[in-house]
Amino acid sequence: MSRSDWRDHDWQLIHAAPQPPLLHMALDEALLDAVGAGRRPPTLRLWEWASPAVVIGRFQSLRNEVDFDAAQRHGIEVVRRISGGGAMFIEPGNTITYSIYAPLAMVEGLSFQESYALMDAWVLEALRELGIEAWYQPLNDLASAAGKIGGAAQTRRGGALLHHVTMAYDIDAAKMLDVLRIGREKLSDKGTASAAKRVDPLRSQTGLPRAGVVERMLATFRRLHGLADDRLREEELAQAQALVRDKFGTAAWITDVP
Amino acid sequence: MHGEYKMPGGKLVVVDLDLRDGRFAGVRLSGDFFLEPDAALPVINAALEGQPTGIDDATLVAAIDAALPAGTTMYGISSAAIVVTLRRALHEGAPA
Repeated sequence: MSRSDWRDHDWQLIHAAPQPPLLHMALDEALLDAVGAGRRPPTLRLWEWASPAVVIGRFQSLRNEVDFDAAQRHGIEVVRRISGGGAMFIEPGNTITYSIYAPLAMVEGLSFQESYALMDAWVLEALRELGIEAWYQPLNDLASAAGKIGGAAQTRRGGALLHHVTMAYDIDAAKMLDVLRIGREKLSDKGTASAAKRVDPLRSQTGLPRAGVVERMLATFRRLHGLADDRLREEELAQAQALVRDKFGTAAWITDVP
Repeated sequence: MHGEYKMPGGKLVVVDLDLRDGRFAGVRLSGDFFLEPDAALPVINAALEGQPTGIDDATLVAAIDAALPAGTTMYGISSAAIVVTLRRALHEGAPA
């Protein structure tokens, strides 16, 4: 099988009104399965958050990563996603999060690093057009000279690849450090003494409102790869809601790695 | 006991465990690594569970590798890194 290119596919955009964190977790699984099974064309989904959340990686220990009392005090929900990687601290309007659901054929024969680089290339171009010199920093970071901009995570199942990214638009670093437990070992090879310095948000670097940054990003994707406006189908939403009830919203899933 | 190890060029690997009658008990691997299928996580925990504390590292690595489901992929973690982390947990509290 030969590798397919972005332009070999009919890319669809889903950019819905704000949705709760658990539904976002479930939509990733439902849409990844839909693309993998060929029920949906390859899709870019831009997330809008209805409420704050800490999203932990598939294999992260709930206890080790999150100060549960602090999360409750701040009214922050803790959810677990289907991909590996690290915890993300989300407040509506403070992050730009998106998912790419791509056919596995696009990364056929590529190493993990090559597949991250391939999936990140368009957003790096978008950032460059916004005046930010950014690069993919293995294993899964998006970095700029001023600091980390965001992180990516991938997972594969069926015939599809999920590549999702959260970038910091603005951030309440004090609140983030109150809720996330970021250990010394984690920072040992990052070259920075303070966890708060690890993230440099897009707001200060672009001077644009969040919606403006999103608009420019989507325009870049559209120009490079093609992008048709689509929407979530009834049955996709229903499947995601069922996944919230039966999987993502259950204590068994959240505490799967206690 | 609790051990953490930032694999060079990789991700954070964490192991929590107890000792019972000279054997590893309640082994729990976690971290911000990538592992597929995700069902490999409990398989790794089970491969380490009940191993004697005197076992050598190469045998532990081989035990993990032998237990992994066919086609398992690891990114930012390795069987060797898991064993390094486990040793750190065992030496918890000792000077670095």
